[in-house]
Amino acid sequence: MEMVTLTKGVPDFSEGAVSFDEDGHLERGETPTVMNPNDEHALKAALQTKIRHGGTASVMSMGPPGYKSVLKEAMESVYADELYLLSDREMAAADTWATAITLCTGLEKFEEEKGQKPDLVFAGFKTADGETGHTGPQTAWALGYPLLTHVISLDVYPEEGRIRAKRLVEGDVEEIETVESSLPAVVVVDPEFEPTYRKAAHRLKRKDLREETQKRAENPGDYATIWDHEDLDLDPDYIGLDGSPTIVEGVDPIPKAPSEREATVVTPEDGEGMQQVLEEIAPFAGGD
Amino acid sequence: MALDPAEYTVDELRDELEEIDDPSALGEILDAERDGKDRKTAKGAIESRLDDVGGDVSDESEAADEAADSGPRAPSEETLEIEGLDHPTADKRHVRAVEDGVYQDMWVYCETQQGELIDVSREMLGKARDLMDRYNEDYDADEKVVAVVVGDDVADQAEEAIAYGADVAVYYEDERLERFLHVPYTRIFCDVARAADHPYGFRDDKPDYDWHGYDEPRYTMFPATNNGRDLSALVQGELDSGLASDCNDLYIEDVEISNPAKTGEPGTKTEFERVFHMKRPDFSGFEYSTILCLDKPEREFHPQGASVIPGSFEVPEADPEREGVVVEHDLELDDDWFRTDVIEWDQLEGGIDLSGHEVVVALGRGIGRDPTQGIELGLALVDALDDAALGLSRGVITASYNFEGHVEQYVAEERQIGESGQVVEPPLYIAAGISGAIQHKVGCDESDTIVAINTDADADIKDWSDYFVHGDLFEVLPMLTEALEEGELDVAALADGGIDDE
Repeated sequence: MEMVTLTKGVPDFSEGAVSFDEDGHLERGETPTVMNPNDEHALKAALQTKIRHGGTASVMSMGPPGYKSVLKEAMESVYADELYLLSDREMAAADTWATAITLCTGLEKFEEEKGQKPDLVFAGFKTADGETGHTGPQTAWALGYPLLTHVISLDVYPEEGRIRAKRLVEGDVEEIETVESSLPAVVVVDPEFEPTYRKAAHRLKRKDLREETQKRAENPGDYATIWDHEDLDLDPDYIGLDGSPTIVEGVDPIPKAPSEREATVVTPEDGEGMQQVLEEIAPFAGGD
Repeated sequence: MALDPAEYTVDELRDELEEIDDPSALGEILDAERDGKDRKTAKGAIESRLDDVGGDVSDESEAADEAADSGPRAPSEETLEIEGLDHPTADKRHVRAVEDGVYQDMWVYCETQQGELIDVSREMLGKARDLMDRYNEDYDADEKVVAVVVGDDVADQAEEAIAYGADVAVYYEDERLERFLHVPYTRIFCDVARAADHPYGFRDDKPDYDWHGYDEPRYTMFPATNNGRDLSALVQGELDSGLASDCNDLYIEDVEISNPAKTGEPGTKTEFERVFHMKRPDFSGFEYSTILCLDKPEREFHPQGASVIPGSFEVPEADPEREGVVVEHDLELDDDWFRTDVIEWDQLEGGIDLSGHEVVVALGRGIGRDPTQGIELGLALVDALDDAALGLSRGVITASYNFEGHVEQYVAEERQIGESGQVVEPPLYIAAGISGAIQHKVGCDESDTIVAINTDADADIKDWSDYFVHGDLFEVLPMLTEALEEGELDVAALADGGIDDE
């Protein structure tokens, strides 16, 4: 199996890391970049497939050269064999469609270099910064591959060239579907995805791979290929900001919720105050 | 032969070729590449070197290559022919914009589930009706709301779309479309949306509807559900345009833009008319962005598309007397569109329903100092209560916290409370470490009593809670749990551990 997982570096939104200016706007320069948390699930799906069926697991990202740290992070979690970074000033500030066109072209160059199509392209659902959920599907459309989204479990049948997946459907009620598709395909993995390793041999293989990768991750640059827009034969007018249909016109801090209740303020040391709070809660006490 | 191209990557090959000046040697390498790996970029590199040294490249094999490469991607060769371009770059195939296009109407994709329009479909129809009534007044126009319904046996749902505000409802039904499938649904939507003589249309025999006198829709709206959001991305991609996802406010206005990517020239301003303003909460609920999808001087980006968070707008009153045009669309389905197939499906029972409990204990980013312990403390309080459930703010879901052990299973979107999660109204709501952004407020504001615990004395939640414990949840939660279990409050235990109160 030839697999590529798409990943993105995003600002670290966890407590303490994220930095805002006085107007409440995100300060990107001050906020460290980490691998998009949702991509972890895509990487897990790729790793599960690699352990069960063998093959090459590559990671591809579009971003500034500093993203090498993100690729290293991805390498450690998927035990990736190869890293691909599409990196060029001309690609910067792309929206989802311009990103999808660039990633599609990167995957086609990957195909040319390898002499074969990736069997499976994995992507995570929504990035922590853009939060659109569009890039994976649009990349599939640009590639002309079948698309499976919101996937929570995955079985691959390499000999038959087919996959079977369970996916989540939303609406007025929640549904779960079993979907089959031919390969190659793009699989967008849901945060609910959990890999399963039922066989002991698979669990052992995973351990071996981990050790092997830890060595590689010491020098991720040795396994990285960087392509710019010329390598990919992309016209700067059609990628990055210039190729993007959408722009962000304004960013406003979210208005404060209007005040409708009058809070009684207490501190933990204030026995009387805490007693009042407890009296509100005590009627609901119980449990096992 | 000077070298075997199969032994090199394209980049290496380019370097090697610099050393070769003999056109016949380069010709041999080109033949070897065609017979071997047949990489397009490799052939391009050899050909360009041939050009440099004055060699000749035969045109026949070029044409053959193009035909072989056209593959399953919809419009192939013709999309390469963009005016003013001397060579087709890899990206141009995806450019499917029309020139000087005519765009009209607001199109709403009405998602159905188990044979019914889902609520958000009705909500969007009501919003689209309001927006277009106002639009027609502001711009002295007569543009329509067009509903699109796809599925198996959906004629009644198209009729219903009229009652909820559509002027035209187009439906397509086929038993193979009982469940949503990305490719056929996208193809059908785009086939209806494009003019019969659209340069990138899928076929020559599309019916020429008299209500559809334009190249592409002006605006599109989709539900921000799993399937609706996917469809929005694919339709807008196929139509070579853009969109904003997960919007909760929409309006149409003229706007002056100075962004050189859109005006074509730095330092100038251009007035864009009738622009769909798409507002969405983003950055994990900290900010609102307004997204615009705007034409460029040399490439038109229409329709302007949005997906809409369910529950953002009111479900309008149905008017069964409303008149409109209902159209059954005709299109032959291609077997190749069914490379994915739904083989079985089931309604998910259970899941996590946070409503209907006496108490909801909700945790926010205040747990960040020790996320695993924070969740444990919340669970302990839940356990000490008779009928309580654990909820989470969006911030916890989107943060890249590492949770250990069994705690991880509790951190899932299905426990999220707020605008894009569940709405709860229990008798008692305990919000620990939640700052109280408006998106969270709408998810719990109807609770009878709200107790907030926060170390920030100025947290927004203070303005909409009944009790505000100015303290650290890592101390206050165990204190409450213990008090419930012991039946009395031990304030003394906190004598040394309290936070600094400026």
